[in-house]
Amino acid sequence: MEIRFAGVTKQFSPDIVALQDLFLTIAKGEFVYLVGPTGSGKTTLLRLVTREVLPTKGQVTVGDINIRKIASYDLAYLRRDIGVVFQDFRLLPHLTVYENVAFVQEAIGVPPTDVQKRTNDVLDRLGLWRRRFLYPEQISGGEQQRVAIGRAIANSPSILLADEPTGNLDIHTAEEIMQLLLSINASGTTVMVATHNQYIVDAYRQRVIELRKGRMVRDDKKGRYEVDGDL
Amino acid sequence: MATFRYILRDTWRLLSRHWGLSVLTLLTSVAVFFLVGASVLFVLNTRYLVATVEGDLMVQAYVRNTPEALESVARKASTYDSVSSVRIVTSDEALERLRARLGKQAEAVTLLDENPLPPSVEVRVKRAAFASVIARELISMPEVEDVVYAGAIAERLERISSFVSRLSLVILAVSMASASLVLFNTIRISVYARKEEIGTMLLVGATRNFVVFPYVLQGVILGTAGALLSALLLWFSYGAALDALERSLPFVSLITDTRVILRLGVVLVSAGVTVGWICSWLAASRFIRLASRSL
Ligand SMILES: Nc1ncnc2c1ncn2[C@@H]1O[C@H](COP(=O)(O)OP(=O)(O)O)[C@@H](O)[C@H]1O
Ligand SMILES: [Mg+2]
Repeated sequence: MEIRFAGVTKQFSPDIVALQDLFLTIAKGEFVYLVGPTGSGKTTLLRLVTREVLPTKGQVTVGDINIRKIASYDLAYLRRDIGVVFQDFRLLPHLTVYENVAFVQEAIGVPPTDVQKRTNDVLDRLGLWRRRFLYPEQISGGEQQRVAIGRAIANSPSILLADEPTGNLDIHTAEEIMQLLLSINASGTTVMVATHNQYIVDAYRQRVIELRKGRMVRDDKKGRYEVDGDL
Repeated sequence: MATFRYILRDTWRLLSRHWGLSVLTLLTSVAVFFLVGASVLFVLNTRYLVATVEGDLMVQAYVRNTPEALESVARKASTYDSVSSVRIVTSDEALERLRARLGKQAEAVTLLDENPLPPSVEVRVKRAAFASVIARELISMPEVEDVVYAGAIAERLERISSFVSRLSLVILAVSMASASLVLFNTIRISVYARKEEIGTMLLVGATRNFVVFPYVLQGVILGTAGALLSALLLWFSYGAALDALERSLPFVSLITDTRVILRLGVVLVSAGVTVGWICSWLAASRFIRLASRSL
């Protein structure tokens, strides 16, 4: 699914403009880094895609769906096709690691045996198998982050949005996560990663979109974390 | 079908994780539905008692002693809607009744040559409240010489009956309102305790119904179980009350028909299901609608 921002402005209050006049198209199957300082609007941009946030001005379209006009029932269906790794994980605290990863599939009504197979697969891939019966508060921050990623990819979504998915990870684990995101991308999933991890962005060169104070200031095809020489 | 299993599992989780709250709600709804059932039984029994007494209530009109006069009073009396039956009691019949009631002592009466008892027209009314009206109508007929009826009893019965009905309506309303409130609050608490979670579920693609159903079922289960337990409790305690009453006040007859009690149980349980459903739906769906709004 193509993601398109057409003249999007998001204003939270008269003096907080999180995004301004954004024109951006992300093709199906692309891999995009979102970079920029804290408060530049990266999270807001991702939240517009899932309609957690509505644009103040302009249109956001996902596939052929205008996010503003979607009915609540259809929204649930659209969201199932978008995996999200939240910046603060948002794991379900009363569910185990296994149940958290299984949740979206259950909400969709996938039969238990299929859920089991798929969930075990994902847990294995993320090295969480031995943690499966623990609750989020019983595991480390890095593990929680991996559970969040597991939940996002468990349903094989068309779009994967990851908000600083390597934020709490050491460089080794961060690279593993990157490999994972790239392999998911290789299977056709559109991936958008908001990140502060310069090492990763420079090591795995992809399209880079840079935001500053809610405005897009750069869109490089095979970009680096920072442009050589100041803007 | 898988979805249904997940919903049931989540409902069980809600019930067991806040088990203290669940038990408290269950006990409250048992108490409240017991109160509802008990007040309904109280009304039914009062009605039953009043009806029993009312059935015996009659207005007796003494009429000039000619067959025509008796006939005409009887005919006129039977035209009233509030009259259930009219009967002419001849002097002989009156004597027979007296004999039956007094036994041997009645012989004193038969010693007289002539039967001293006057004939009368016996009018039974459908409700105690009608007795005084009918008595007034009868006395205004020219053929009627005198009217006798238990006016005070009739009026008191009527007053008791309507007071009990009104009182129990109030009890019923108050207890249903408290049942609703308790269930509503419990569900609201358990929804609020999970508001972050609900937001996340909606964000990752759960439908509102999938999120809301476990909460609704939680309310339905608590309401239904409460009503069911209270119906059982009512069944046994009413049985015990009947036994005790029969020993101490054998002349008072209460409802002993088990079908009536069973029907009351069915009504209670349906009320439990309905109240549980409506209250938890109101408590959960409003919140979930709010939670699914975009910023
Ligand atoms: N819910 C909100 N209410 C008010 N202001 C917000 C809200 N969310 C984000 N903002 C503001 O919008 C701007 C962009 O935030 P954000 O998108 O989170 O940036 P980033 O993810 O790049 O750090 C910031 O100034 C932030 O304070
Ligand atoms: Mg952010």
